[in-house]
Amino acid sequence: MSQTGPARRFDAIVIGAGTNGLVAAAALAREGRRVLVVERSADVGGQSVVREFAPGFSAPSSIDAGWVPPVVTKGLGMTSPPSVKPDISVAVALRDGGFLSLATDAFTAADAIRVRSTRDAERWAPFAHRIRRLATFLSALYQIPAPDVENHSFRELLPLLRVGRQLRGLGRADMSELLRILPMSVQDLLDDTFEWGPLKAAVGVGGVRDTRQGPRSGGTSFILLHYLIGAPVGGVRARAWWRDTPDAFSSAVADVAHRHGVLVRTNAGVARILVRDDAVQGVALSSGEEIGAPVVISTADPARTLLRLIDPVWLDPEFLRAVGNIKFRGCTAVVQYALGDIPRVPGLNNPTQALASVVSLTDNLDALERAYDAAKYGRVSAQPHVEITVPSLRWPTLAPAGRHVLVARVQYAPHHLRGGATWDDDRSDDLAGAVTAAIGRVSPGFASNVLHRAVLTPDDLETRFGLTEGAVTQGELTLDQILFMRPVAGWGRYAMPIAGLYLGGSGTHPGPGVVGGSGWLAAQRVLSDAKAGGKR
Amino acid sequence: MTKARRYDAIIIGGGHNGLVAAAYLARAGRKTLVLERRPLLGGAAVTEEIFPGFKFSVFSYVVSLLRPEIIRDLELPKHGLQILPLESTVTPMDNGDYLASWADPDESRRELERHSRRDAEAAVVFGRLMHHMAMAVKPIIGMVPPDPSSLSRSDLSSLVKLGGHMRSLGAERFHALHKLMTMSSADYLDEWYEFDPLKATKSASGIIGTFLGPRSPGSAYVLLHHYMGEIDGAFRAWGFQKGGTGAISESIASAARAHGAEIRTDAAVDRVLVRNGRATGVALSNGDQIDAAVVVSSLDPRHTFLDLVGEAELPGELVDAVKRYKFRGSSGKVNLALSGLPRFTCMPGPGRHLRGAMSISPSVEYLERAYDDAKYGEFSRNPYMDIVIPSMIDPGMAPPGQHVMSIFVQYAPYHINGGWTDAKREAFGNAVIRTLARYAPNIESLILHKQVLTPADIEQITGLSEGNIFQGELALQQLFFLRPAAGWAKYRTPIRGYWQCGAGTHPGGGIMGASGRLAALQIVGTK
Repeated sequence: MSQTGPARRFDAIVIGAGTNGLVAAAALAREGRRVLVVERSADVGGQSVVREFAPGFSAPSSIDAGWVPPVVTKGLGMTSPPSVKPDISVAVALRDGGFLSLATDAFTAADAIRVRSTRDAERWAPFAHRIRRLATFLSALYQIPAPDVENHSFRELLPLLRVGRQLRGLGRADMSELLRILPMSVQDLLDDTFEWGPLKAAVGVGGVRDTRQGPRSGGTSFILLHYLIGAPVGGVRARAWWRDTPDAFSSAVADVAHRHGVLVRTNAGVARILVRDDAVQGVALSSGEEIGAPVVISTADPARTLLRLIDPVWLDPEFLRAVGNIKFRGCTAVVQYALGDIPRVPGLNNPTQALASVVSLTDNLDALERAYDAAKYGRVSAQPHVEITVPSLRWPTLAPAGRHVLVARVQYAPHHLRGGATWDDDRSDDLAGAVTAAIGRVSPGFASNVLHRAVLTPDDLETRFGLTEGAVTQGELTLDQILFMRPVAGWGRYAMPIAGLYLGGSGTHPGPGVVGGSGWLAAQRVLSDAKAGGKR
Repeated sequence: MTKARRYDAIIIGGGHNGLVAAAYLARAGRKTLVLERRPLLGGAAVTEEIFPGFKFSVFSYVVSLLRPEIIRDLELPKHGLQILPLESTVTPMDNGDYLASWADPDESRRELERHSRRDAEAAVVFGRLMHHMAMAVKPIIGMVPPDPSSLSRSDLSSLVKLGGHMRSLGAERFHALHKLMTMSSADYLDEWYEFDPLKATKSASGIIGTFLGPRSPGSAYVLLHHYMGEIDGAFRAWGFQKGGTGAISESIASAARAHGAEIRTDAAVDRVLVRNGRATGVALSNGDQIDAAVVVSSLDPRHTFLDLVGEAELPGELVDAVKRYKFRGSSGKVNLALSGLPRFTCMPGPGRHLRGAMSISPSVEYLERAYDDAKYGEFSRNPYMDIVIPSMIDPGMAPPGQHVMSIFVQYAPYHINGGWTDAKREAFGNAVIRTLARYAPNIESLILHKQVLTPADIEQITGLSEGNIFQGELALQQLFFLRPAAGWAKYRTPIRGYWQCGAGTHPGGGIMGASGRLAALQIVGTK
């Protein structure tokens, strides 16, 4: 590095061309900033990027559209691309044969439940409405920086009051209920409401999504609510998907960014973030090229950004310790199958619709808890929780005509294995074998229908997307790692302890599943810091 | 049926909270009557001579959380309160070594350095932080919980006061408190320590009396709850009462009597008499009725609402809340009469370690696996145990040369597969002895008598629902303004003149007395 550092060529550099990175870049460019986005892979769109995993067959690693906060689309002056809201939220395969198909329409769902429990059927609609109301409150909190115990500037007071009013607007009963429910285990929440195991499993799996927690772990009710934001009433699992392509939204944001002059460079991995005199100077790419900018927004996860891309001399040891303590704990694996034919699933009603949505192979919470027990001790679940989707039913171009792609999400496949074991090929094969067998139980002859399969273990996710410990959450959604505690206590406002350095990935508030939410709020912080003249 | 004379206040239940409430009410000049179902006072804080010559603190066995203001206000030392410090904790390790914590902090530090120099350094900072955390929650423990959904002036002013307190902590301590309230004790301790037996022994405080494992989020709060104890102003100090925990109850009863309270044992209350939405007295199971302007229940929420009053008199929401309130007792107790002292392999010979606690918590995984058994409805095959030998400190508890041993055991789930039977109790007791024998091989040859208490036994004897020693889990969703139910956390009930003062109200369990005191102060403050 030269004495003066690289010449300033951009006002801001955004690391990562996932949705958060694109949103942050577009938001800054709209305000007249010259912005460069650097992306280490060949594609724009992060986890929504469609990749070929077998000749002619492709799939994105994430198939859920997530929830796009209105503040993002409004702020970028864009409209969301068309999306599809499924009629069937989830179908659960029952051990004794048959399926529980939960329609997003609460009354239709209640009819399906009534076959096994009239009590649960009566409770379904009130429950669906109640958790939907509570999730809606979170959606307000997710469009502003997380309130903390101190440092409220006047500017932030107004939106905060709005949230306060919204909380009171929930009504007395709901407000106490929200505070009561957040720390609860999803198992307790469901046991208090329902009696039929498969129904509890249908909903409860949402509470352990992408986390190394079991349904009996406190705080899993919060996770359930978190991933329900934006879902229709009764849509307790699959929210929605983009109608045209899996990456329709990130493409739309990329268009907005381009229109405002954002430059995106792919195949441009960042080796270091350049710092001098406690201030950001720009980035150095793995190629050795240095690019100057006074502001860097990293959408890589906090550990990767702060522990890998920055020389530790610039950071306080206490701060580094706090970052080192962030719990990532990736434990989700994905198995992608290329199929010769649409899988035959006897007993499943509306198979086309159900398979386009989510079919869950776990029908009781104890099985889910036992799957978690293994991960707790650093083992892969002997009988993992598996849920399957056939995305080629949503997007036919993913597979050659008449053929199909099936994606299985699998928990728990912990990144940290007992006794220092690693995710080698044998272990991935074992996992995929267990998944294939599980699918075979609901789809006879499934194994012979498979033309090809690809496994993404947490190790693969770490390598492919640069996600620490393969955590697609960029940090577990436990109660001690959300809101003002995300990514670490005291640094929940996007600006990091080096002037010009910001985090804008889902490792910051509001976190995973809130599409572009973190990137948007990070960009707002950059803009308000600039207005304040560099003051913090 | 006889009509007795009228009282200002009747307290149902002569456990320590009931007695504390009675003492405060009597001290305020109220004509107060305590009614206890059993022949002896104390509830779960009782001393009984289970076997001739051997006295046991049958259930609750150590004390630390008793509020200093109660000791002061009621002048309990004058009435016999005498706490003998419990000075050490020793954890036998599976390799034959041990980890000890002694009364002398320097010695403890040297001992910890033997295992991990890094942890010995961290322990100093950790201890300071926990002290600050205990100080930070102290005002919360001492306040009547405001209702955050209420717009009343008193609630709003309490909330503002609470907000002010949080802000006064500063961001750093507020964030540390947030972590303690939400994390698992194992995760929390992982941020500080590396030596597994140390983490295990510390995280054991986070599971006591709770159906959580050390890796369950929420257990760090229980850890903090156990750090809140004060003896003579020193936080985190635990001790024995001379004569057993029953003597604590006796000292509170004596203070109550000195203020004029009347206390009756063998007087089981059948129900609270309610007329036009107002409590008018109680009916005993022998048919007697006693009138009173105020009736206070120190029993747990299930008894207080569903048994003593009944659903018909209560709003549906409260009934639902009480029905889903979690008890699920998770601990058992084994009391042994011994012919001599146990010899622990890690520290053979009679030493000072026998005057403190022995903790069977060799690793975090050991505790977590103990929890796994319980999760699926079995008692732990290899349970966590907290072992003390009270006769080492208070020789009057056993005949000369002989000893009493108290073993607190987790997990023994109330809801055990197939229900608790005599055979199951026997098997549970055997698992405890077998586990202990791995660390103290001579134990079996010393046993003269053995009392095994399952949560079902605890429920049957003390009346604590599902044998939960805290009158309900200390889980975040059952604390503060949610204990026992939203809207009913200020000791009142929907029935005028009927109050609650048990550990099922804020701030909860342990021999604390805070619920009894806060309830009494609320009653006295209300005309």
